[in-house]
Amino acid sequence: MKSTTIKFCSVWLAIYASITAVISSEYSPENDNDGYIESPICCNLTTERVEVNYTSKIVENEYIVMFNGYYTDEARLNYINTALNTSGIRKWKVLSRENPASDYPSDFDVVVIEDSDKMEGLNALNKHPAVKRVTAQRMVSRTLKISPKQRAGRSLNSNSKINAKNQFRHINRRLFRAIPRQITSVLQADSLWNMGITGKGVKVAIFDTGLSKNHPHFRKIKERTNWTNEKTYDDGLGHGTFVAGVIASSKECLGFAPDAELHIFKVFTNKQVSYTSWFLDAFNYAILKKINVLNLSIGGPDFKDHPFVDKVWELTANRVIMVSAIGNDGPLYGTLNNPGDQMDVIGVGGINFEDHIAKFSSRGMTTWELPQGYGRVKPDIVTYGSAVKGSHNKGGCRSLSGTSVASPVVAGAITLLASGVLHRGDVINPASVKQALMASARRLPDVNMFEQGHGKLNLMKAYQILNSYTPQASLSPSYIDLSECPYMWPYCTQPLYYTSVPVIVNVTILNALGVSGRIVGKPQWYPYTPQQGHLLEVAVTHSEILWPWSGWMGVYLSVTKEGATYEGLAQGHVEFTVESPPGDGETDVRESTVKLPVRAKIIPVPPKQKRILWDQFHNLRYPPGYFPRDNLKVKNYPLDWNGDHIHTNFRDMYQNLRNKGYYVEVLGSPFTCFDASQYGTLLIVDPEEEFFPEEIMKLKRDVDAGLSVIVFADWYNVTVMKKVKFYDENTRQWWMPDTGGANVPAINELLASWDIQLGDRVFEGKYKLNEHEVYYASGNSIRKFPKNGVVVARQLTDYGAEIIGESDGFLYDVPVLGLVQTKSNEKKSGRIIVYGDSNCIDSSHLETDCYWLLDAMLEYTSTSHLPNVFKDNNFKGWEGIADTDTPRRMEGNRLYRYSNVLEKSLGEAHAKPVPQCPRLAWSQPVPLNVSAPSDLYQSQKLLSLSDDVHVALPADNNIKDASGVDGNGDFIEWNWRNKPAGAATARPEDFDLTVTVLVVLSLAVIYYSVRWCKPKPKKRKLCKRLLSIVNCRRTSSV
Amino acid sequence: MWYSAFIRFIRRRIILGFIFLLSFSYCGLSYLKNAGLFNGNDDEVAAIKRTQPFVWRSLQQHNASDDDGCRNSVQGKLLIADDRGYLCPRAELLRNGCCNSLGPGVAQYDCDTCRPNNCCTIYEHCISCCLQPDKKEVLESVLGRASEQNNVLIASVADHFELCLAKCRTSSQSVRHENSYRDPEAKHCFGDVAAVNVDGEV
Repeated sequence: MKSTTIKFCSVWLAIYASITAVISSEYSPENDNDGYIESPICCNLTTERVEVNYTSKIVENEYIVMFNGYYTDEARLNYINTALNTSGIRKWKVLSRENPASDYPSDFDVVVIEDSDKMEGLNALNKHPAVKRVTAQRMVSRTLKISPKQRAGRSLNSNSKINAKNQFRHINRRLFRAIPRQITSVLQADSLWNMGITGKGVKVAIFDTGLSKNHPHFRKIKERTNWTNEKTYDDGLGHGTFVAGVIASSKECLGFAPDAELHIFKVFTNKQVSYTSWFLDAFNYAILKKINVLNLSIGGPDFKDHPFVDKVWELTANRVIMVSAIGNDGPLYGTLNNPGDQMDVIGVGGINFEDHIAKFSSRGMTTWELPQGYGRVKPDIVTYGSAVKGSHNKGGCRSLSGTSVASPVVAGAITLLASGVLHRGDVINPASVKQALMASARRLPDVNMFEQGHGKLNLMKAYQILNSYTPQASLSPSYIDLSECPYMWPYCTQPLYYTSVPVIVNVTILNALGVSGRIVGKPQWYPYTPQQGHLLEVAVTHSEILWPWSGWMGVYLSVTKEGATYEGLAQGHVEFTVESPPGDGETDVRESTVKLPVRAKIIPVPPKQKRILWDQFHNLRYPPGYFPRDNLKVKNYPLDWNGDHIHTNFRDMYQNLRNKGYYVEVLGSPFTCFDASQYGTLLIVDPEEEFFPEEIMKLKRDVDAGLSVIVFADWYNVTVMKKVKFYDENTRQWWMPDTGGANVPAINELLASWDIQLGDRVFEGKYKLNEHEVYYASGNSIRKFPKNGVVVARQLTDYGAEIIGESDGFLYDVPVLGLVQTKSNEKKSGRIIVYGDSNCIDSSHLETDCYWLLDAMLEYTSTSHLPNVFKDNNFKGWEGIADTDTPRRMEGNRLYRYSNVLEKSLGEAHAKPVPQCPRLAWSQPVPLNVSAPSDLYQSQKLLSLSDDVHVALPADNNIKDASGVDGNGDFIEWNWRNKPAGAATARPEDFDLTVTVLVVLSLAVIYYSVRWCKPKPKKRKLCKRLLSIVNCRRTSSV
Repeated sequence: MWYSAFIRFIRRRIILGFIFLLSFSYCGLSYLKNAGLFNGNDDEVAAIKRTQPFVWRSLQQHNASDDDGCRNSVQGKLLIADDRGYLCPRAELLRNGCCNSLGPGVAQYDCDTCRPNNCCTIYEHCISCCLQPDKKEVLESVLGRASEQNNVLIASVADHFELCLAKCRTSSQSVRHENSYRDPEAKHCFGDVAAVNVDGEV
């Protein structure tokens, strides 16, 4: 009996404890203060790091007196006077405030008390009936520290505080807390509401975690459907409610289009599980329901998921305006998520309220086009995605960050726009809306186009444009200025020159004339003779049919032989006509002519030694295949998915090389397709692809003729590869890697003629090379190297054995680096350098960079002078110190499925015949004797109906954030493929009455129950009686 | 004093018990209310039923002219299928949304890329083929099975043409391992697709 009572009591205690835990679970803002910004100086070859710190200190002798209500100056002075006079304080004064507000009653004053008996005075003030409280005056200061990231050369330690001198301080008065912002008022949605535009008549679909039926924020939930295997329509996670709130909330934290028709599609379970097949069925239903705007605050890296990608195109083709988040994988480049990266979708990136790109926002070109082509510009547009207020799934509001937040901001804005121009009928389609958003967007200064797209969403201007819009075709980017920095990064970082690999610009064509269209004839190149346009060679490739509402165009730029010694700008434009079948009720074919201004900077051909060729052709990535990460210690993300391009995850390495004066070109075709006499060094980093036998032969000849080769290999071990296989929940199958970090057996075949071979063990560790600290993250070792070469060996552990579970803990002497002059008797031939690990020049998962090492290697390959750092560390007699086997290809690997080199027709996989080298059909120039403006960038102009359709634009009042914090809210992380999503914790903003009453009551109950349960004889009896009553009741009821 | 009298009153067992029960039930109720406010049980995913009768294309419509305009497949890159079963290139689409039945390359009930298993390579062929009157039997079984499986999509289509539009789209039935088509060559099916066992192959 007694024990049950105690249990009963303890249950109460447990309930109480859990309640208090819920209440006290304060959220902790993510410390996201440091971001990377581009230097505003031209060609932003340096990256700087900004650190923001806050300090607050008490201002001596100054106190803020808060009153109970609002009083006039006089009344306040009177109160303070009476209070302080009774306490006997003499030396005091009220600080006068010289601002317009001082004419009105206020509820506070700042008092300076200089007497020694301050405490007494303060007490007296506190006791005064009209005074609420007295607090010390505080000054908050923010310190901004900008320090160039330590990259190259001589500094030892990236953490060293060498740059203390470069710091500058920026101190001023700051608000303690940022005012919670209504996203709608920041974007001036209220001006549209005042015009009676509230989203009425537009169907919005939200593909997310669902929404509860009775959520008080929503007026018009038209339909809810569930496509998951969970038996509920409700959102247990809060993601779907938040997204729906940003689009259509009508209370508390307002959304853009409160009267829009909401169609809620639950495609994610509360456990964040989702499958492509659920999406396909849900998408089909959205098409049937003739949805106008569809928000996808989701994304994943698998753009090779054809059923999904095709379906998204199909939706756009059915006039559904698709808006999607670009991803939360920044600040690394090459991290764009699908479907935000599709040309028909509006991909939205995130900025904070200070108009800086949010650190988490994914960026960089799309990587679909690699290795031969070049990526699209994405995101299309950016908007606020950091600390935005939206609906909480349990009522009230919360503040969240992520591109998942930015996407519904744009979707909501589009819904509002669409409802404002319903009278325009068919003119509003996925292409015209995207064109209007792009043309109206405001460009952010000092941010490149692969981070901001066309710039920041400007709702009012977009409305103005759409209101007078006439169907046409347009381009993204709308012009090509290879010399404009930093917007046209990376093009502006390296000028064009004769014999360079053509620079490719991937232009997206938006065609609002019709869902399907085509380019009439051939795009024409018009060089401007006064501006040396004839020195440029231009080739254009494009999609045969522009569908759905969009297409692509590749513009290849190169310099003619005539321009081999020219230095300066060259200008011209490309022009073409887009055609679509007649629209509803029309008889004529629709046409639109588009002009693409082009400008490039040309320099004389740089010396051969300074020219580096980056091998892109042999880099394979996920998707389609499983190519494991190069750093085995990084366990949370198993795939190598950033494209391995000098403008994605090797961006920092590229900038370092440019800073050092090297020119880097990208080879997207086999080795048989380049003229080796033009280049000093061929850089092969982390290749996963096989090599054609013809390539191996050609490289041998090239090296004999003077080309140098640097190879950064990576780990390779078949047992480890088998160990890192995993079961993919999304595709419901086992994933087995087809190579290691790099395809070492293929590298060995490539280097066999110089008697160089890498091993098959995985080594890891930190070591020092002279004064440089190096981290060797799961790399390879050299097994064979020519006798005349220089080999550097260091002590490392066998990480492969650790993974397999046979760790021995020994430190092995591992030859990590080898340098050799081929044909040592004649200096004319090239040099070969092999290093066992690529992690230290790859920005993804980078721990300690080794750009200095690459610089030293390039010094050797380009000048044949062996730097001291190698000379000093030459390890004699290294043979056999780390005993490794010859690496062999894994039995039954499926590399041929993803390879451009292998094919498998019967039996063994073997090399295909070498493909033809790409030949560009240069456009026949039609010279024009005109001059172009010196600044190509103007905000993009779209054709309009007539000029007299004017929409009143309210004064642009940008509200600036005082906090400067990138993410002072919870962070939404969202992915539907292969990635664990971060938990979004709740933060109730409003005070919950029920919970309070509950707590008070339970406190009372605990009090009484504790008294009852006290082991006094009398009470025990009481307890017993009570329990017997309970028991009696029970038995009687049975 | 009233104070001590009050305390004495409060201390009586029955009163204490009353307060306890009251607070307990309040707690319980408010907890239930809190939990049930937005997540009501009335919300369970209910069986989806057809609200309107399904309309088949009559033979009369089959031969009718295109006076009152047509609905069509909207999305096509090159081809369009209209609700009379005509398939035409985009250029042969009339102002009223119908295919020009006399135009070059226009055919009715075109099953050109369709296979015996009712799967086609091109979406528009699938629609045109699906509208053929003799496919009614196949579609009736599709409708029957859809209502068994609570298929929202099929339950929402109003007539023969909408059924063909919806059924011919790629769907959860068309994929293998989620990220690839079961049959990339014939992925648009208007009949039911036989279940395929999901093997562990990569």
